[in-house]
Amino acid sequence: MNGELDLNIPLLATFVVYLILMILVGLFAYRFTKSLADYILGGRRLGSGTAALSAGASDMSGWLLLGLPGAVYASGMNQIWIAVGLAIGAYLNWQFIAGRLRRYTEMARDSITIPAYFENRFRDRTSALRVVSALVILLFFTFYTSAGLVAAGTLFEDTFGVDYTLALAVGASVILVYTLLGGFLAVSWTDFIQGILMFVALILVPVITVMNLGGWSETAGAVAELEPGALDAFYDVTLFSIISLMAWGLGYFGQPHVLTRFMAIRSPKDIPAARFIGISWMVFALFGAIFTGFAGIAFFEGTGTLDNPETVFLALIQALFNPWVAGCLLAAVLAAIMSTIDSQLLVSSSALSEDFYKRFLRPAAGDRELVWVGRGTVLGIGVFATLLALNPDAAVLDLVAYAWAGFGAAFGPVIILSVFWRGTTRNGALAGIVVGAVTVVVWDLLEGGLFDMYEILPGFILGTLAILVFSRIGGGPGEEIEREFDRVRARMD
Amino acid sequence: MEENLTAATWFWLLVPMLLVVVLTLVSLVSHKLRGERS
Repeated sequence: MNGELDLNIPLLATFVVYLILMILVGLFAYRFTKSLADYILGGRRLGSGTAALSAGASDMSGWLLLGLPGAVYASGMNQIWIAVGLAIGAYLNWQFIAGRLRRYTEMARDSITIPAYFENRFRDRTSALRVVSALVILLFFTFYTSAGLVAAGTLFEDTFGVDYTLALAVGASVILVYTLLGGFLAVSWTDFIQGILMFVALILVPVITVMNLGGWSETAGAVAELEPGALDAFYDVTLFSIISLMAWGLGYFGQPHVLTRFMAIRSPKDIPAARFIGISWMVFALFGAIFTGFAGIAFFEGTGTLDNPETVFLALIQALFNPWVAGCLLAAVLAAIMSTIDSQLLVSSSALSEDFYKRFLRPAAGDRELVWVGRGTVLGIGVFATLLALNPDAAVLDLVAYAWAGFGAAFGPVIILSVFWRGTTRNGALAGIVVGAVTVVVWDLLEGGLFDMYEILPGFILGTLAILVFSRIGGGPGEEIEREFDRVRARMD
Repeated sequence: MEENLTAATWFWLLVPMLLVVVLTLVSLVSHKLRGERS
């Protein structure tokens, strides 16, 4: 009982300090937010480090600190394939998409959201592309945000005995306050801090655990005795499942909260440094998560000893660290969850403020009005997501499974072909979004054989084919679009 | 015999992931060098 109290006071103190720091960052960013472009894209002035770490932190979520270590703890090294696929996918996205998308979004009528980019890139006078893509974002991210809040509330209820509703209310309020006040800059700066916190925790925890066990040889030896299969990446997996796990990497090309970081970077010249920082952060954080799970097998003497494998990171911290240090390291879990929720909240808000309000309701609205509409939509979506999270049910959580694959398959092929293929047309793009999204949903409903494959792969392939086929039907993209494409390409060479 | 991860596991864990880090470093250095020359 005393032990619990000793842990809870430092934990509470570090969490409070951390949450206050996040609100202060929001207040600071408030001073730099004058226009809607500032509010939803930070006025395109992110430096390399902030763009890199905020992209990583907002992308990774609680999965990096809970899901991946938990999967390795439960099954061993055969769980590395998803990490390998993600690292390769993130690298390809930074290498081939980031610079082109940064230039193209600026040259295509200074587009500040993905739906606006699609509309401007393909000169879509019907606005169908903008409406369909904004609806996809709004639908998936509202529920995704809600599911993130459910995960955070459940985690803190299960692990620390904090009341679910209280944890949800405090967490959601802090995220809402700094996102609402400081917009994209607040989200990116807090994600930067959160990214550092996650990185430190993911390096420190496995290193201290392995040292505590007597070194690497002792750790590997203990795992070999307890779970020999855990040493082998090919244990109990098939080529089919390896391909399916690695296909997660395809998702990067279509994630709006990651792509907006590329669009917001100060200059395309900053991208090589951002790419190096971002990929290094990601790879070493993934190593940290994998070895946390692996060392956890030895530390807890077997894979079945923790009730919930996903708590292996939390359990190691509680077992090995001084309560004050443990408080800081556990704040990293909160950071991982918050950094994803805030980014998704802001992208959803931009779909309402820029893609619906400004585009259809008040095209002549001034900057001040639009910023406040942006804040209002953050509040509205945030409250809606919190209310959904108050009564968590399986339907909300199931949507998360679609979201990564849904965005990857719906937007990924369009993003890639829009920056690489001159012949992509508006009809092709629209067909690609619809076919990619529908394939993901339908594939997930079917079972057995090929349908056990992660739905992003068929969605991505069929979405790409739809763009290639429909872009060849009817007239070409048009002279104005082709001239713009050539101008962007000339700037890239 | 000392127990360790299998050779194939070390390979697939380290090579692809460290390779992408090296590639980004090479690209950064070449970008800096190009910038200095121009």
